[in-house]
Amino acid sequence: MDRLIYTSLTALRGAQARQTATANNLANVSTPGFRAELAEAQALWLRGPQVDGRAVTSEEVIGADMRAGTVISTGRDLDIAIEGNALLGVQTPNGEEAYTKRGDLQLAESGLLTTGDGHPVLGTQGPVILPPADSLRIDREGRVWIVPQGGDPQLPQEVAKLKLASPVGSPVLKGLDGLFRVPDGGILPEDLEARVKSGALEGSNVNATLALTEMIEASRSWDVQLKMIGDARDLDAATAELMQLPQ
Amino acid sequence: MGIGALHVARTGLDAQNFRMQVIANNLANVNTTGFKRDRANFETLAYQAMLTPGAPSSSQNLYAVGFNLGTGVQMTGTARIDLPGTVSTTGNGLDVAIEGAGFFQVEMPDGRIGYTRAGNFSLSAEGTIVTPDGMPIQPQIQIPDGASAIAIAADGTVSAAVPGQAEAVALGQIETARFVNPSGLQAIGNNLLVETAASGAPQVGAAGIEGRGTLRSGALESSNVNVVEELVDMIETQRAYEVNSKMIQAADEMMRNASQNL
Repeated sequence: MDRLIYTSLTALRGAQARQTATANNLANVSTPGFRAELAEAQALWLRGPQVDGRAVTSEEVIGADMRAGTVISTGRDLDIAIEGNALLGVQTPNGEEAYTKRGDLQLAESGLLTTGDGHPVLGTQGPVILPPADSLRIDREGRVWIVPQGGDPQLPQEVAKLKLASPVGSPVLKGLDGLFRVPDGGILPEDLEARVKSGALEGSNVNATLALTEMIEASRSWDVQLKMIGDARDLDAATAELMQLPQ
Repeated sequence: MGIGALHVARTGLDAQNFRMQVIANNLANVNTTGFKRDRANFETLAYQAMLTPGAPSSSQNLYAVGFNLGTGVQMTGTARIDLPGTVSTTGNGLDVAIEGAGFFQVEMPDGRIGYTRAGNFSLSAEGTIVTPDGMPIQPQIQIPDGASAIAIAADGTVSAAVPGQAEAVALGQIETARFVNPSGLQAIGNNLLVETAASGAPQVGAAGIEGRGTLRSGALESSNVNVVEELVDMIETQRAYEVNSKMIQAADEMMRNASQNL
């Protein structure tokens, strides 16, 4: 029996994985700071005594699309859009440093500043914890200014500076929690040129048109492979017929 | 996992559906006194690790990149946008707007204190200052029979002309409460919010001091809903819903094709 169907099967698996990745991109079209995943197929050649006539494919999510998302103005003090390719430092539940583009910051009961998905925001001196304040402002350089409770509104105090990291020159991977990390556990250097815009929020960078095209492509590639399997089945049936003993 | 794509797209439909409900509620409350608009918050669901970066790809090499498939999106909650609404003059002496931070305190039927920015007060049959639902504001202020020219000062002092007295008599003071994290208050309907662990304890006192806003009588704070903004959000939500339903259609066709042709 021809093993062609197994080669086609790998391609079917690839098309499925790619479709799931595209579905996830489309589902996150409204998630602040979301970075779309990029899927890519790779040919794995099997070297053997015969001709190298067959390559199985392995579909992979090779990384994230780091292009900027659209920035929309929200007017909320704690929303920040991080300009350029700088990333905001956050702390993961096991204490590591990770990075995100998500800028819808929230103030927890304890005064801890977190992102909208609950990760504590890192300042240059560790997690940012704010004392009770009358007002709060984040400036262009990512410094957090507050007017302490009952304080003079004319005299704001700087209480922290957000860790804005530069991913230039370092490999950054998207982890299972959607946060970016340096693969071997390293940390990114602070980006002194990074600027933030408060009162605005960077949306998801999913390009719906592109994602829909990818969706159609994955669907078609699936159909073609199904056709291939059908042909392999016909070939196999024909061979079996030839080999039948005359009645 | 053709089925996987189907479920991932479904999470997208669910999330956009909730978001539409939030927008519908904002639009429905466009004329509600003191209403603050909500914004839907999204987060990605867990990722499935198909291949961990750093795992060995051969005896010498490690995979430099991972193969992680996302499982979709969920709405984590709503964030109330506490921007002030437009203050409009009504001329009614018992309409009060707070200019700045703070909430009026209202005693709810269950004895708890509710907090509100809606200052459209009136008098009960007994002369108490109450909300349109009849809940007395805290501390309770009683207007004596026959009093006229009720005035509320910027610091919350309520005075009125009482028959038989030449000068206006001070009858009490409206106190306001402010919170460290007002977005942590929970909305319970009837224009009321209640304290939660996230909002912190109320800091109660006279209006105009310790960061509390001053009061303006004869005016009302309208909702901070911007209709144009909501309509734009609505279109965006609708489009996002559409692309996710297209995805469901595509995943379904893939599976149908497979089941018919394999």
